[in-house]
Amino acid sequence: MLTLTSIRLLFFVATTFVLASCTLGAPSLKLKDDVIENTVTWSGEVWIDGIVTVKKSGHLIIEPGTRILFAPRDVDGDGIGDAELLVEGSLTARGTARDPIIFTSAADQPKPADWKYLYLDFARDVELDYIVSEYAYSGLQVHFCRARVTNSIFRYNVDGLRFSTVNLFAAGNRMHDNQHGLRYEERGSEAIIHHNDIQDNEIGIFVVTRSTDRAQIKENNITGNRQYNVKLGWQQPGDVTLPNNWWGSLAPDAVEETFLDRKIDVSLGHVSAPEPLTGPVKVSDWQKHEGATP
Amino acid sequence: MKSLRYLVLNSLLLVLMMTSLSVSSVSACVGKTLVVGALDDPQQQVLAEMLSVLISERTGTTVKVVPIKGHAEAHDAMIRAELDMYIEYTGVGQVTILKDQPIADSDELYKAVKERYNQELNLIWLKPFGFSDARYAPEGTVAVAAPVVRKDTLKKFPALARLINKLGGAIDDSTMKELEVASAAGNPRDVARKFLKEKRFI
Repeated sequence: MLTLTSIRLLFFVATTFVLASCTLGAPSLKLKDDVIENTVTWSGEVWIDGIVTVKKSGHLIIEPGTRILFAPRDVDGDGIGDAELLVEGSLTARGTARDPIIFTSAADQPKPADWKYLYLDFARDVELDYIVSEYAYSGLQVHFCRARVTNSIFRYNVDGLRFSTVNLFAAGNRMHDNQHGLRYEERGSEAIIHHNDIQDNEIGIFVVTRSTDRAQIKENNITGNRQYNVKLGWQQPGDVTLPNNWWGSLAPDAVEETFLDRKIDVSLGHVSAPEPLTGPVKVSDWQKHEGATP
Repeated sequence: MKSLRYLVLNSLLLVLMMTSLSVSSVSACVGKTLVVGALDDPQQQVLAEMLSVLISERTGTTVKVVPIKGHAEAHDAMIRAELDMYIEYTGVGQVTILKDQPIADSDELYKAVKERYNQELNLIWLKPFGFSDARYAPEGTVAVAAPVVRKDTLKKFPALARLINKLGGAIDDSTMKELEVASAAGNPRDVARKFLKEKRFI
């Protein structure tokens, strides 16, 4: 028989557990094909083995230091993991320099494309600050929405940061050791991309197609990318202008050698790098420059 | 006492509710991965990797090379849409796959297989690479190598034929032998990439 004392004790334990879950974060929250339709806060460790969707009405808030681990499951056998976080509503992921928010593979020996992507599609409101996204097909894909991405790291992915048809502000980020550091199909995008390190990828910037040279990509360090610093895709006949960047060299010929453009394939546009910087920018100084205030 | 039990159950239910989220299925846009078949042979592997590297590097499309056991298996996989493309030889196409009479003339043979594959099988022969290999030639015919691609795949990727056709005539007999030797001795993908880079295809 339950006594009043034992009931009180049980109630105390239950309440304590609930409060701990809300304020300190439940360890190892495990999700599959879940849908978020209200305001939800993640902290601690979150495992995703499926597609988690933040619907239009939903707002996902991720606390500093949260680790989101994606199961490296590839059911359709296309060589790309199936797990993803799809955001159609709002996402606020503000880490700190000391406690970044980490999106990564749950594999013991992780590799690029273990999971699909953090995908912003017609999202309502997105702010990403001090996140690390790694071992995905795309560390971050942004389509048909406005997004602000700062102080973050995209590494060990096929595509570090990828966008099309967006209003994107990206500053203070580091994209390294991806197949493509930055990849985009402009399609009318309003993109301001400055004070980023786009270094040590296979391809620094991959302009796939439909670019009308509107994206403002300036005052970045675009150096040391193993195949090309800039590559135009097969269907990019228009020119691409990338002014005021640091290319790792002051010799124009050496800089141009790192572009795959019309000089290799006459059907492509020309990549130009007017007024190159004479030294690297300090990425952490991005807040002193254009677009720092939303 | 019943009300106390009710309170306990409610408390436990509250815990469960607070630590789980609603579950339902969703779907999202998934990119198409192209699949290239390759027989267990250095020549096939280096050519399949060449298609894979060319397509993935120039278009950004993900391409996967998968092993296949033989020509008939490759053909069946194409018909079942399990492969998007593979490398075939004109003589094999005419005699082994189409079960037709050998044709000795190289150009005539290419036209014949291209026409029947297109009309009857919805498979498209793209431009030949530029070499032939007698090892693959049934008696009384020749074996000119070319990429064969599903028509549906070309509809989904309209620029693909033009891109792959850049390799048309780019590999003569002696170049193919060199690539084959290097492929047998090393990594076919590295060999393919080096060739494409040297010829400025990528």
